[in-house]
Amino acid sequence: MIEAVGLTKRYGEKTAVDGISFTVRPGLVTGFLGPNGAGKSTTMRLIVGLDRPTSGTVTVAGKRYVDLKAPLHEVGVLLDAKAVHTGRTARNHLLAMAATHGIGRKRVDEVIALTGLQSVASKRVGGFSLGMGQRLGIASALIGDPGILILDEPVNGLDPEGVIWVRELARHLAGEGRTVFLSSHLMSEMAQTADQIIVLGRGKIIADAPVGDILAQVAGKAVRVRTPDGARLESLLAPGSADGAGVTVTRTDPDLLTVGGLTAARIGELAAGSGIVLHELTPIAGSLEDAYLALTEDEVEYHAGALETEIAR
Amino acid sequence: MSTTVAPTPAQSTAPVRPHAPKLTFGGILRSEWIKLFTLRSTFWCIVIIVLLSVGFGLLLSTVTAPHRAGEPVAAALTTAQQQAQAVSDATIGAAIGELVLAVLGVLVISGEYGTGMIRSTFAAVPKRLPALFGKAIVLAVTSLVVGLVTIYGTAAIIFPLLPGKKIHPDWTDWHLNLALIGGAVYLTLIALLAFSIGAIVRNSAGGIAAALGLILVVPSVFSIVAGTTGAAWAQNVANLLPTSAGAHLYAYATGKTETVSGILSLDRTAGGLVLLAWVVVVFIIAAVQLKRRDA
Repeated sequence: MIEAVGLTKRYGEKTAVDGISFTVRPGLVTGFLGPNGAGKSTTMRLIVGLDRPTSGTVTVAGKRYVDLKAPLHEVGVLLDAKAVHTGRTARNHLLAMAATHGIGRKRVDEVIALTGLQSVASKRVGGFSLGMGQRLGIASALIGDPGILILDEPVNGLDPEGVIWVRELARHLAGEGRTVFLSSHLMSEMAQTADQIIVLGRGKIIADAPVGDILAQVAGKAVRVRTPDGARLESLLAPGSADGAGVTVTRTDPDLLTVGGLTAARIGELAAGSGIVLHELTPIAGSLEDAYLALTEDEVEYHAGALETEIAR
Repeated sequence: MSTTVAPTPAQSTAPVRPHAPKLTFGGILRSEWIKLFTLRSTFWCIVIIVLLSVGFGLLLSTVTAPHRAGEPVAAALTTAQQQAQAVSDATIGAAIGELVLAVLGVLVISGEYGTGMIRSTFAAVPKRLPALFGKAIVLAVTSLVVGLVTIYGTAAIIFPLLPGKKIHPDWTDWHLNLALIGGAVYLTLIALLAFSIGAIVRNSAGGIAAALGLILVVPSVFSIVAGTTGAAWAQNVANLLPTSAGAHLYAYATGKTETVSGILSLDRTAGGLVLLAWVVVVFIIAAVQLKRRDA
């Protein structure tokens, strides 16, 4: 269990995290989503006491992180793959981390095997690829067999196999009743891993709901209609007619329309009333990606410049 | 990465352990010990100190002469002068090795900031100060042992050569041993001072520049000011700097603490205490900063 109440962090003028409150519950994978610069990493650093909150509190297992008797046993944290001295070998890094809590060599070998680092365990971390660094970071997080896992962008730099592995690991750990909190800026990744999603934009929580609910927000918002009588249906549904405002109709092909603002049932009734034959009537399921983009479109910290103006120069 | 990774969740599930993991200061010390001795920089620093000390000791002992070449041996050195010369040759490692130990002292902590390791360290030891103390203790013990072994080792190698120069070191002389041990204590305190500077600066290049500046540059600045203006205050400041005050720790014969015509001079105890005060003050600043700043 991780609980944040009114958590705020300012760096000088800039507010990185703006009075957020949330609860991350055990037994679930909670995804922490947001564009780059939204404050995800800062929030995670605040949870483990690396940064001090400007105001508000955050507790893990009911205590401030700094007050934990066995921090590595209670919370495993991957903040970024670079929290390792580059001159030390992976095994020695893990041994040093483990030593603080009296954790033995056996567990070190276990997490090395678990994260697939056997072949590089005796190599110095400076030569590691991003993916290997990420695995070492996850090994570090797991070393104390923690009840709570906080992983910041764990799939960054992993190959597809590694991505699946992290996903299964997260699901498995949550299945054991552990609290799993992982951040990502990739919605698609979260859709497959998380049970609950907290969306952060510019330091504020935009959404905090089960994955299904967030999907439902965009699901059924558009309906694909295929009919041999495209032009007639278009004028029938067009704004100003029948059901009035809020309806959008786009005809991409002579026989294919995308209708927004009406349910599939209502479109069917209207078509039947006018004797229009329909070949297809499909509510388009919104992807989590769409939901995410819709939620964060005003909250992106760094917008890409318009491509045309760049080219024009 | 070519390693095939099958998720083997069973391994992470409730591993059987006799006792639950717990953060202890003993564990922190072990961890810092592992950290210090699993880096090549530590190994190289120690090798360089030993080579410099023995090398320069040998060099000095061969050029040391109680009289100028070609001149008759007029007055033999007094016993005290012989002992002082022997100590001076044997503790050359303190004067040169301090630079290397200062670099090591800075790196012990700045290396963690530079690589991001400090975040792992503070995630494991969130109260932070125990980690700082652990690092300081491990560094101090290492510096002391390296200092003692190097200085006594150098002495053991060069003392048998000195009688040829009409210098007869006396191992049973307590003051000689006090100066040799003082050399190791000096190295330890310099390493801790550099470590504290590294903890404040948090950057290897900046920390090393600051530490070596304090050891090499600052004393010269005040000496030049004192030399050109004759200002007593400048000379007094120069005498109270870490290296000049600490040098009394490894000098065979030192005077009394006294002020002669406005110039302060220190004895072994006072010099050692002045250096210790430097270490304590800078270490406290480092500790306060460490606790307050974001990592």
